[in-house]
Amino acid sequence: MVAPAALRVVRCGGSNLHGARAVFSADARYLLCTSGDFVKMYSVATEETVCMMQGHADPVTGIQLNPQNHLQLYSSSLDGTIKLWDFTDGILIKTFIVGYKLLALYALASYEDSVFAIIPKSGERDSFQLVSVKLTKTAGQEMEAKELSVILDGVDESPKCTAFGREGEYVASVKEVNLQVYFFKRKQMNRFSLSTTNTKGGNNRFTCVACHPKEDCIATGHGDGKIRLWRNFYHNKEYTFSTLHWHHDIVMDLAFSVEGTSLLSGGVESVLVQWHNGSDCKKDFLPRLGSAIEYISISSDGTSYCTSHTDNRITIINSNLRFSKSIQGLIKGRDVKTGLVVDPRTKALVLNGEPGHLQFYCLQSDKQLYSLDIVQQEYIHQAGLNQVDLVKVAFSAQGKWLATVEEREAADLELQLKLWVYDEETQSFKLNTRINMPHEDRITAMCFRDTDELEEDSPMLVTAGKDCVFKVWVIVEDTDPEAQQSVSWSCDFVGSYHNYQATNCCFSEDGSLLAVSFEETVTVWDSLTWDLKCTFCHPPGKIRNICFGRLTCSKYLIGATDHGFLCCWNLLSCALEWSAQLNVLVLQPDPLSEHIAAVSWLSKDSSLFVFKPNEPRPICIRRNLCKEKIQFAAFVPRDIPETIGSEKYLWLRRSQLYFLTNTQELMTFSTKSPEERLTPSSKQLAVEESLPMTPFSLLLGKHRHQQSQEDVDLGKVVVHNHYNQDSPAVKELLYTPAHVLPSASFLCPIFINSLLTSKENKSAEEVADEVEMESEEAEDDSAEEKDVTEMEQDLRPLEFLGETTCKLSKSQERELRKIRKMDYSWISSF
Amino acid sequence: MAAARGGGGSSEAAATAARAPCAFSPGDRRSLAVCGADGRLRVWETAGSRLQHEYVPSAHLSAACTCLAWAPPGGRQPPHKDGPQRKKRKSEVPEADKQLDILAIGTAVGSILLYSTVKGELQSKLDGGHDNKVNCVRWHQDNCCLYSCSEDKHIVEWNTQTCKVKCKWKGDNSSVSSLCISPDGKMLLSAGRTIKLWDLETKEVYRHFTGHATSVSSLMFTTVKPMNENKPFDGITGLYFLSGAVHDRLLSVWQIRSDRKEKNAVMSFTVTDEPTFIDLTVSEVKEEPVKLAVVCRDGQLHLFEHILNGYCKKPLTSNCTIQIATPGNDEDSTPKPVPILAAAFCTDKQSLLLVYGNTLQPIIERVSLNTTESHVCLIRDVQKVLALKTDVSVTKIKTPVVNSDTKVLVPGIPGHSTSVKAPPSGKEKNKSKRKPGETEESIEDRLGALDIDVSKVKTPGGLPQTDSFAVLLVQGLESNDSDILNKVLTTRKEALIKNTVARMPIHAVIPLLHELTKRLQGNPYSASQMVRWLKSVFTLHASYLSTLPDLIPQLGMLYQLMESRVKTLQKLSRLHGRLFLLVTQVAASETVQDVTEVNQTAKLVYEDESSDEGSDDEMIADKDSDENWDEDDEKEEQSDEQDMAVEKEINGDSDLEPENESEEE
Repeated sequence: MVAPAALRVVRCGGSNLHGARAVFSADARYLLCTSGDFVKMYSVATEETVCMMQGHADPVTGIQLNPQNHLQLYSSSLDGTIKLWDFTDGILIKTFIVGYKLLALYALASYEDSVFAIIPKSGERDSFQLVSVKLTKTAGQEMEAKELSVILDGVDESPKCTAFGREGEYVASVKEVNLQVYFFKRKQMNRFSLSTTNTKGGNNRFTCVACHPKEDCIATGHGDGKIRLWRNFYHNKEYTFSTLHWHHDIVMDLAFSVEGTSLLSGGVESVLVQWHNGSDCKKDFLPRLGSAIEYISISSDGTSYCTSHTDNRITIINSNLRFSKSIQGLIKGRDVKTGLVVDPRTKALVLNGEPGHLQFYCLQSDKQLYSLDIVQQEYIHQAGLNQVDLVKVAFSAQGKWLATVEEREAADLELQLKLWVYDEETQSFKLNTRINMPHEDRITAMCFRDTDELEEDSPMLVTAGKDCVFKVWVIVEDTDPEAQQSVSWSCDFVGSYHNYQATNCCFSEDGSLLAVSFEETVTVWDSLTWDLKCTFCHPPGKIRNICFGRLTCSKYLIGATDHGFLCCWNLLSCALEWSAQLNVLVLQPDPLSEHIAAVSWLSKDSSLFVFKPNEPRPICIRRNLCKEKIQFAAFVPRDIPETIGSEKYLWLRRSQLYFLTNTQELMTFSTKSPEERLTPSSKQLAVEESLPMTPFSLLLGKHRHQQSQEDVDLGKVVVHNHYNQDSPAVKELLYTPAHVLPSASFLCPIFINSLLTSKENKSAEEVADEVEMESEEAEDDSAEEKDVTEMEQDLRPLEFLGETTCKLSKSQERELRKIRKMDYSWISSF
Repeated sequence: MAAARGGGGSSEAAATAARAPCAFSPGDRRSLAVCGADGRLRVWETAGSRLQHEYVPSAHLSAACTCLAWAPPGGRQPPHKDGPQRKKRKSEVPEADKQLDILAIGTAVGSILLYSTVKGELQSKLDGGHDNKVNCVRWHQDNCCLYSCSEDKHIVEWNTQTCKVKCKWKGDNSSVSSLCISPDGKMLLSAGRTIKLWDLETKEVYRHFTGHATSVSSLMFTTVKPMNENKPFDGITGLYFLSGAVHDRLLSVWQIRSDRKEKNAVMSFTVTDEPTFIDLTVSEVKEEPVKLAVVCRDGQLHLFEHILNGYCKKPLTSNCTIQIATPGNDEDSTPKPVPILAAAFCTDKQSLLLVYGNTLQPIIERVSLNTTESHVCLIRDVQKVLALKTDVSVTKIKTPVVNSDTKVLVPGIPGHSTSVKAPPSGKEKNKSKRKPGETEESIEDRLGALDIDVSKVKTPGGLPQTDSFAVLLVQGLESNDSDILNKVLTTRKEALIKNTVARMPIHAVIPLLHELTKRLQGNPYSASQMVRWLKSVFTLHASYLSTLPDLIPQLGMLYQLMESRVKTLQKLSRLHGRLFLLVTQVAASETVQDVTEVNQTAKLVYEDESSDEGSDDEMIADKDSDENWDEDDEKEEQSDEQDMAVEKEINGDSDLEPENESEEE
């Protein structure tokens, strides 16, 4: 370990996953999504991060697959660059510097050398425009992309408010109550507007727009929960629209299925609605998705949907509306009221999650373990509805007991204290005692007496309330013969002090003393007899935090006042040992050492001070911790004490300090250099992908391979039914009844020929001939409409063939090599 | 906790614990890969015992999985560079070190599959090395070589980058069943029946060991450094390793020595059945004992702690044995054993991950080690655990159990709060420490004591003829006869109640009060009746009650009950006022509507207007009433007293309150 290891602040729990619409890879095996400044690729099968693309300096605002190459990805960011990635390997290919803040990104198959972006209009605030950015194809890592041409003016900044229509023929954009449609070919602009409020007082504002992939139809979502389907919008006057209405509040996002037969919509109700054939009566629902749906995206093969939620989660849903997987970062719901608590059993960080739930967040794997449904009431999304909220959580020392306080703020306060016991038999928490209105006013603090030896037989809980009392709860044996439980909780003592509000409580390390702060005064009580032992105060200021010292410093009591003083009292002499002027927001003792961390707020930035109570000089001072206020902090014990070289950071040896800012960023300290931290993740066993090819897949797949390569080159979606398009020889072999087939020896040369010619140098004309021949055959044989359209698509790429074949991507080369290495010996058996 | 276990269950458990290959991920044991009997590979998260994903090999029925091995953390670094223009950020994201990625799966037909657990797909297939069942696969810890041994007597070294056989040699005369790579990575242990130590560079046998009578199923190095440090360490000499074999209840420990003569085991551990899964903590310091966890075929787990230092003749027995059983409190009262499938030490070496239950749906639990007890039986309700787990796999939402037998404390119920006291009053400390249970017991005690007293009182006094209610009441209180008590206490006549209370003996007052308290907590209707009794008891016997020394504990509960009920008075009266308002409004509007309807039928032409007017009128009326809201409330509070039972009771309280205050002083 290098001695001068600097202490660095690192983020935990991942950034927001809902910065932009997530994108499925072409084969729907991976999901790409933005996470702050990064683009992350998750495996759909395992929910694991496969790779992380870092390089942007500001949050990423949009990602799109490169329509010309489905193994590449464009990403745009507020730092004014568009980057092109090879996402299978996580390699940055190119950076295009645009120079404006990019707020959204669109890439279309029909525009091969340009992408579309939304940028702020220069000179005007809050005015945005849609531009097309020409991406020049020159060599080099970094290049300027200054060729911008404005397409639409006055668009909304949100990426949801602009959508491109069928094959890029038109673009639709909505803002406020206006819809504008621009036709590229005719260079015509049609505007439609609605009245600001309709007759029934609904909100007509547009919130999102989506275009039908096959027909000329635009779907728009509105502020009052309506969805309008616009047709015939070529005419400024004779346009029509139909209305779908299920959502009761804002429609957050809309998406058409691949074929356009169904429409998906989502809103704050956290229900995914699937509308069939644009009719109001046929619809399916997937309810209870947890929180408001921010974005909806659909994989290109239509097998899975994905919804991004406001609480930092992505849900992957099957096309038959079944939950499949969920990718979950730290839930950043609303206000965190419970603070950061460590579950002694799982060593997970526990805090507010979804409304009414507690989330258990595993810090080692940086993943959510599970969320515990404490309130057990259906959460109804409605403005102005008072919800039950979890406000306090405490664990006993061994994690056997969990106490939760829930609160509902109606006309008068409703409080409930629940005591859960961890039932080893069923490996789950079980409700033991429910106490209604434990205090008449808010509970300000709650703590268990955490004595290790005594604990399991006599746990004790203290709650302090604004109703000027603190209550001590103990376990009693139930004497009632009807009760099935043997023990339950009951109040043992109610204490008060001159009718001051109780604000904090905490037990000393051995559990013999209880300190309760009443506004300006700290009272110390004997936990055996409930005698008031002594009081401390530091006059001009109310007590904000208190804690006892530990181990060798257990004779000290530390308190912080809101007048900016940190005081240390000696419990033996009942005198003030020292005090320091410091505006302490958070005071957190380390359970495994004497160290106490104090986070102060000094003129716009937070600082950290770590000290031992027996000396007034801090061990570690860290200024400019972060710009935000820090709400909570927690020491999490490490599994193995870390070897830390520098004396200064010895306090981090046994446990790690985590803290939560008021923007709900979870942060921690790391003494390792960035390289050290990052290497283990990038260290991966390089294993060549070599999957065996079965003889049958050789037979069929040989030709298909090439087809798919062409497809990849040309930016076409790999559609499933390629079987009809195989070489005529194979087709003949497969479709002719076995009893009329000629002998195998006769078929063999045809076969091998068909296999060989297609691979070796074949000019573009030959391919064209063959494809045409096939298309004729296909028409003769089945005359399916689908085939014909596919043929049409196949024909177009020929013009690009020359330039695309010369530069194959790495993976394609690999595939080609594989094909060459194939063993054809089995054919001799023919 | 310790419980003897029936011998009958063991064979049953053994049958279910068919050997399924399973492996914990190296390092922090974050995941567990289990290959079930159905040929599917499942990866479980150990922290939450949650199924991460499932993989079905294409030939999972014909080529069943025989062995598993996770790739070591951090192999060779791939040629991967960050973008050159990567800026220094103020704070970067710490990524979870996801070092483990590849899982090697040996199959029954001789091929080896490399499966990526991150991507959830097959990475490559190693073919052409073996033509029979693969018995064991092991990764080399430094370079990404893979070693496998098979039923076909050969050992194969694979290059996993090219997926080619690097080297293949004959390992034994019979099948090779187990492999282990030395800590320095230069030697390889292989075992059929005998154990051989190979030099990996030359592929020559370096040492021979006698081995076991049956084929060896597990091999493990237990130390990384030799225990006596006076000799220079050449990487292998002086190390210990452990071996277990099929149908062998002894695990042997061998030492690699510089002299070639010693071929026998240094020591051995004895277990109850054939070992199926072994995990150990490698000791790095001389004083630190090796901790060994052995899961046996009979589903038991044995823990050993031993400092390895040379010979030991006697086989060592386990320090601690762990078993798991169902509670067995349902229809069949015999607890059934639950087989332990695997166990692994956590990184802190103080706790153990236990995997038990069914291989298709194992339960993973973290247990802290406590070796003071020699035999531990954990009771787990496997069915319930699984039932609770099913939902978690997709949504990750766990619902804690809420039974109907939960204790509910609402204001007024004993135990919700104790009487509020001023802090400096230090005299009555002992009384305040009482538990609510004690008071109830003391009633019985007192009643028992009363029994004698009452009989004394009754016999000389004789029965008063006029009113036998007092006697009945006393009798009822004595015998706790609810029939009599019901009969007496349901009287509504004020005078009768007064008389009864006046005539009852003084010693029956407290039991009566307790009885009344009990009834007050029940039905609100009966509460209203009890209040009458309470009222007369307090008015008539106040002087007696004030003399009682233990009044506060005796009547504290009653006092709190009243307090909490009084608190709801305001809310209730407010609610009553609103309801009253609403009801009268509805009634009023009905009458108004009747009138307008009549009008409507009469004037057909102006129908719309007239109806509008009518509704407007209503609106106005509503508004008016809203404005008068507060006044109405107050009026009703005063006027409705006789109607409301609750308020009655409160009335009684207000009489009593000065009483109670005096008691406190």
